[in-house]
Amino acid sequence: MIVGNYLAAAALFLLGLFTVLSRRNLVKIVMGLSLMESSTYLLLISMAYRSGSTAPVLLSPPSGSTEQSLARGNVADPVLQNFCLTAIVIGVAVTAVFLSVVVRVAQHQRSTDSDQVRGMRG
Amino acid sequence: MTGRQESHDEHGRHRTWAAVALVAGMAVLLLLAVTDLPREAAPLPTVAREAMTSALPAWGSTEPVSVVVYGSRGFDTFGETFLLLAAVASVLLLTRRRERRAGFQGEEVAATRERSEQDPHPTSGRNEREARAAEREEEREDSDGPDASWSVPPRLPGLTVVVQGAARVLAPALAVAGLYLFAFGSSPGGGFPAGGVALGVLLLLYAAFGRHLVRQVTSAAGVEVVELAGAAVIVLIAVVGLVAEGSLTANWLPLTRPGGFRSGGILQPFSGAELVEVGTGLVLVTFALLDLRHDWADDTPEGPGREQ
Repeated sequence: MIVGNYLAAAALFLLGLFTVLSRRNLVKIVMGLSLMESSTYLLLISMAYRSGSTAPVLLSPPSGSTEQSLARGNVADPVLQNFCLTAIVIGVAVTAVFLSVVVRVAQHQRSTDSDQVRGMRG
Repeated sequence: MTGRQESHDEHGRHRTWAAVALVAGMAVLLLLAVTDLPREAAPLPTVAREAMTSALPAWGSTEPVSVVVYGSRGFDTFGETFLLLAAVASVLLLTRRRERRAGFQGEEVAATRERSEQDPHPTSGRNEREARAAEREEEREDSDGPDASWSVPPRLPGLTVVVQGAARVLAPALAVAGLYLFAFGSSPGGGFPAGGVALGVLLLLYAAFGRHLVRQVTSAAGVEVVELAGAAVIVLIAVVGLVAEGSLTANWLPLTRPGGFRSGGILQPFSGAELVEVGTGLVLVTFALLDLRHDWADDTPEGPGREQ
């Protein structure tokens, strides 16, 4: 039941969203955003799955079948796998940017509490 | 409990309840969306079927995922590459230390006369004296050898000999696995995961032997040049496709036998350039964060962050 994966991805996203909205610690907020990112990986890979399918690779087809018959057969969605691959790289880069901002805020304000960081208020 | 603390706690409770309400609303939306998602028995979308059937005849490749990443959706990857580059530039900008100067600029001398007119009897406070002392200390560390910066804060040179021995065995094996992933890896192979493996090898060596071993390899000045070279190759591959074939990231190299190292036309050079771009980009951001050192802002009650 792939719906279980979809619900798990939704739960992960909601957990991340709750962390972002309810926590004041900037590191926890970044962790919440990372959780939301991770939920998209699970969702994309789950959407690519087809029951009884093989990986989208046209190498060494089983005896009696050709590469072209493999291509028309039951395989996982290669386009969604591509999306997941790019999402992971962008997720790492964006998290690194967030963390650098948090470290700089902590160094300059001596606090990771978003309520204490009011230098740009107003 | 003071009035300020009470207001702070009240504010915290309001925040939690507002978050619960918003998350509940989002949960309803997500549940509605999940009911409409394709199930495991649904047929593949047309775009996925097209990617599967065109991989061999159009690109001569047995890797539909690589064809999508570097071929049919190459423009998407092209844009993503420069998004990564922008993120790397942002991290380097945010984490950089004071820039070294090429030579004496002379502001101190030039400003002496004007300063003496404005403030004939200067008195420097404790904060200013401490900041200037810390600045001189950092300048001294910058100008000394590579190990000088480790004096503050003290760091361990590396882990135990057992871990170091294991790292010596594992690091070359992991590096070869990463190269294999780039050259012949399947679904998903290519430059993206191989770049991640390259970062893993360096982090393993960093953890086992300490910073000094990987300092030369991960110095921002050298790695930045390599990263920009990777980005330049990607631009070149895309622009030649536009000029020669009329479409950005179109294949302009002859197709060879499927399954080989050079099969897929531009896929393998594009993937190699991505390996360089992603590997160096991840190394730059990771080691920029690991190299963030203490700052010398005052930590006393009247220091920064305590004045609001």
